[in-house]
Amino acid sequence: MELEQVGRVFGEGDAAVHALADATLQVHRGDYLSIMGPSGSGKSTLLNIMALLDRQTSGAYRFDGVDAQSLSEGRRTGLRAHRIGFVFQAFHLLAHRDVTENVIMSMLYNRMPRSSRRSMALEALDRVGLSHRADFLPTKLSGGERQRVAIARAIAPRPTVLLCDEPTGNLDQGTGRSILDLFEELRASGLTVVVVTHDPRVGLQADRIVEVEDGLVELLPQSHRPALSER
Amino acid sequence: MKPSPAARARFDWRDLIAEALAGLFARPGRALLTVLGAVLGIASLVATLGVAHTAGNQIISSFNELSATSVVVTTDRGFFGDNAPQVALPWDSESRLSRLNGVAAAGSMADVNIGGDLTSSVPLNDPLGQTEFQVPMVAASPGLYPAVRGHLATGRWFDEGHSERADRVAVLGAGAAQRLNITRVGQQPVVFVGDVDFVVIGILDDVLRHADLLNSVIVPEGTARDLYDLQSPTTVQIDTQVGAAELIASQAAIAVSPNDPALVRVQSPPSPESLQTQVESDVNALFLVLGAVSLLVGAIGIANVTLVSVLERVGEIGLRRALGAGRRHIAYQFLLESTGIGLFGGVIGASAGVLIVVAVSASNDWTPVLDARIPLAAPLLGAVVGLLAGLYPAWRASRLEPVESLRASGA
Ligand SMILES: Nc1ncnc2c1ncn2[C@@H]1O[C@H](COP(=O)(O)OP(=O)(O)OP(=O)(O)O)[C@@H](O)[C@H]1O
Ligand SMILES: [Mg+2]
Repeated sequence: MELEQVGRVFGEGDAAVHALADATLQVHRGDYLSIMGPSGSGKSTLLNIMALLDRQTSGAYRFDGVDAQSLSEGRRTGLRAHRIGFVFQAFHLLAHRDVTENVIMSMLYNRMPRSSRRSMALEALDRVGLSHRADFLPTKLSGGERQRVAIARAIAPRPTVLLCDEPTGNLDQGTGRSILDLFEELRASGLTVVVVTHDPRVGLQADRIVEVEDGLVELLPQSHRPALSER
Repeated sequence: MKPSPAARARFDWRDLIAEALAGLFARPGRALLTVLGAVLGIASLVATLGVAHTAGNQIISSFNELSATSVVVTTDRGFFGDNAPQVALPWDSESRLSRLNGVAAAGSMADVNIGGDLTSSVPLNDPLGQTEFQVPMVAASPGLYPAVRGHLATGRWFDEGHSERADRVAVLGAGAAQRLNITRVGQQPVVFVGDVDFVVIGILDDVLRHADLLNSVIVPEGTARDLYDLQSPTTVQIDTQVGAAELIASQAAIAVSPNDPALVRVQSPPSPESLQTQVESDVNALFLVLGAVSLLVGAIGIANVTLVSVLERVGEIGLRRALGAGRRHIAYQFLLESTGIGLFGGVIGASAGVLIVVAVSASNDWTPVLDARIPLAAPLLGAVVGLLAGLYPAWRASRLEPVESLRASGA
């Protein structure tokens, strides 16, 4: 994934919000990258563009060497279905479908054989430690549990890129730790992981840290890492 | 499709149905209310068609028996008035028509001008009571009796011999017999018309056609010719076999008046099919409009609710799109939901409509008749209505951008 001077402007004229300006960033296969920065700085905007959920208003974004701008809607959709796993900041679980069905949702539009969907969903739930909640409705889950369902949904179809928007925001130390271990594990198996976070511990685990501030993106030099760990 | 490990199990119809059903069952109360719109429309359509068909059929079956087998030939000048040329029906009309294939019976008749003569059953005036009456006299051929489907209370009908000999015999209609106080014919009672005496040989107590015969004194044609100078029959009643009326009607004029067939009038029953069609179209025209209107209202209801549910489920749509659902997957899902509502409404509506037809029939003592294709086609119609109603909302849903819909859903 390669971003070259990517900008994103919401609205027009006086009301225009420059959520992202000239973001240049390269993410390689198997990278573990974390994106940090204050609230409203444009982290989610950046992640949405990387996930092909949103389109930049300037600059170029290449996914797998292909210019995203040149991709048809169908191709973008196909990449979302097969290559990208996304954990939404707001979870976005369907309230009237149980946990397993919510996880299966990410495999519906995939080339996943129908017969293996359920077992793969249960496996993903097991990896986030939620096997015992498989047939609960999301409304009956705690915030942290919902967050883990969202993570299970993202990893269940075995994407090649995992993009997470605040995946540990609602988790306690222990559960957060186990999710980080999971990311580590996934990364070890070749997955590219990008995590947006406020949590220095999460950020520090990544190979590289990107700082976003007021829409400006910059790679945090290795020398700054100790300072981060003291926060 | 080969079940290879890399089977291309793309989102297919099974997933589509499962997702659409899940969507409907997520809000069962609303889905049912929406179904109600389709139910009302379909039910009123089915009921309308069924009741119309049943009523039409009912009219046919009561009509068939008598009217559909009746052909009447007259010399009415009708439209042309008194100045129109006139032909006389021949005395042998009965035998001419009886030869036609499909004629069950034929008989001629004519009103006899008796010059105001009164009729009585006793030769002398009785000062104590009225014994003289004005009773019309009708001359009839022997075949008239079966042709009007008559029934004799007692005695007999006259025959060819009576007519040829100009015998002074008469058959009394039941009404006339009552006035003249004659109930039996065993003693050969006599009635006087003016000064002329007739032997009563029978009493006619019922006819299915030409009910005026029941109040008349009926005499043989030969007798009327001889005594009253009757010129010709004026009416010929034909009783046809079932289904032959149209054919007979087309041949009757030539049979009785080969030279001037256009001058006789032939009254034939409307063909049963056209009558039924007419009855049905009368009923249908009115109620079909009502049915169509309620169906339209139902369709608007479905469209409306589907649209609302699209707006309400913007988040779900955004999520599905983010998870890789194509525009068409979203469109199909909402289309299928609205079609499902229509189909379900169609099934319930068809059942309700059939029940209404049965109930209406039962309360009228009719036999319910319903074209089997109607209740079968009704769910289909419902589905089509649902499909059409869902087109716009589904299109709207498929146009939504993933990020925007996710954000709009209150994330
Ligand atoms: N659709 C939009 N229209 C207008 N402004 C928007 C829109 N989406 C985001 N913004 C603005 O862009 C800026 C960056 O938003 P973004 O969601 O990327 O922040 P963030 O870094 O993810 O913040 P947080 O840590 O709170 O999630 C914000 O100021 C926000 O108001
Ligand atoms: Mg954010």
